[in-house]
Amino acid sequence: MKCFMCGAEVGDEKVCYNCGADILLYKQIIYTSYVFYNQGLEKAKVRDISGAIDSLKSSLQYYKYNTRARNLLGLCYYRVGELVRALNEWVLSKNLQEEDNPDADRYLAEIENDPGFLSKMNSNIKKYNQAIEYCKAGSRDLAAIQLKKVVSQNPNFVKAQQLLALLYIQDGKYADTRSVLNAAKQIDNNNTTTIRYIHEVKDRLKEQNTGKKKKKNDVITFADGNDTIIMSENSFRSMLDNSRTSFMNILLGLVLGLLICFFLVVPSVKETSADSGTDTILALNEELEKAKEENAQLVAERDKIKSDLDEYANKADVTTSYDNLFSAQNSYNEGDTAAAAERIQLVTKDLLGPDGQKAYDTLYAQLGPTIVQGYYADGENFYKEENYDSAITNFQTVVDIDETYNNGAALFLLGDCYRLTGDTENAIKYFERVVELYSGNQWGKQAKTYLQADGTALEATEVED
Amino acid sequence: MIDFEEELKKYEPAIEVEQAEADIKARDLTDLTDLLFNMTAQNNTTNK
Repeated sequence: MKCFMCGAEVGDEKVCYNCGADILLYKQIIYTSYVFYNQGLEKAKVRDISGAIDSLKSSLQYYKYNTRARNLLGLCYYRVGELVRALNEWVLSKNLQEEDNPDADRYLAEIENDPGFLSKMNSNIKKYNQAIEYCKAGSRDLAAIQLKKVVSQNPNFVKAQQLLALLYIQDGKYADTRSVLNAAKQIDNNNTTTIRYIHEVKDRLKEQNTGKKKKKNDVITFADGNDTIIMSENSFRSMLDNSRTSFMNILLGLVLGLLICFFLVVPSVKETSADSGTDTILALNEELEKAKEENAQLVAERDKIKSDLDEYANKADVTTSYDNLFSAQNSYNEGDTAAAAERIQLVTKDLLGPDGQKAYDTLYAQLGPTIVQGYYADGENFYKEENYDSAITNFQTVVDIDETYNNGAALFLLGDCYRLTGDTENAIKYFERVVELYSGNQWGKQAKTYLQADGTALEATEVED
Repeated sequence: MIDFEEELKKYEPAIEVEQAEADIKARDLTDLTDLLFNMTAQNNTTNK
């Protein structure tokens, strides 16, 4: 170490042997400066910027060449929004220690590289100064507007925030005041002015609340018709409480009513509805049964009426049958067998009495060949006209009366009609009968040619007469 | 209770960029080491 007076090397000596300077005192001064610097650094780390600034200023009052302390002081000013003060510290730092001062170099370089920033901050400072002027001139509203702008542009400007808070306090805007002061406290948490303002707001709010409490103890007056009722607040409150209790009771009653409705009334209504449905079904069933009974009665009545009608018709038919029988007998007696045959076929034998049936059989036996001949002739005509169904009816009548009629011709033609209508089973049946009865005549031969050997199908081959 | 007018007096205009140079020049940078230097120098002169 060199002597601060003569520059001679003094080592660890307390006094310079060259010039007699007090080296120990000098060392103590420098040591104290670094102690304050350390304090400032600790405070800055916990955002006690005001405290840090005070400590760093003290440090520099002891030893102005403490470059670290000066650079940190500039940084603290920058932190609370005082840019020009910060710049001044860094410029001084650079002047006092040109070499080996990287922090000052860096801070200054950053400011120089952004000239717009410096201009903007300078404009901001001017607005702050103008706001102070407005305040002093009594234009608090203008000042507040200006300060709001300043704070929005430079949220770290603690002094501007404090001044704005002061204006809010003066205007009684305590909520806004607390908001601004809280923001300021976030930047510099141990600033005495900020803390003092916060306490001021608390005190004023406390006073306000106390005032309100006092008011609460006042009497309450209200009009009820022509009467004016004066009562203490406690009484009024208890009355309101009673009203609330009544309201709660009504509400509880409503809820209970709804619950009873839901759990008791609704199920019974549903049950009634279900019972009603069941009753309806039962009633409908009863009606259905009744309708069925009525239907059965009506059917019985209808059958009876039908029976009566049939009896009546039969009775009518009996008369007709007798008329036809007599007419046939008369025609036969007159020798007109064709007319007699027509008439007797209109007679219903079952409707006749025993004597009538006897007379019918006698006449029918006499007219039998004529009748059969008529049926056969009609059958042939239908056969030729290829009306096989009608032909079958006529030939069947002939065969029923006499299956040997015309040497099996009627029997064969009946079978052939069935063949031609595709009723092979009946055709085979009648052809076999023809073959059985008349195997030697043309009908038998023809029937045989139609029948296959096994008798299960027909062949279309026809033989010459 | 804060007196607004008294409190307002504590607020001084911030230094503008144009005033920076003047502010630096106006600074009294004398520290304790300077005082010690002066005192020692004065003492030496007196002893001579």
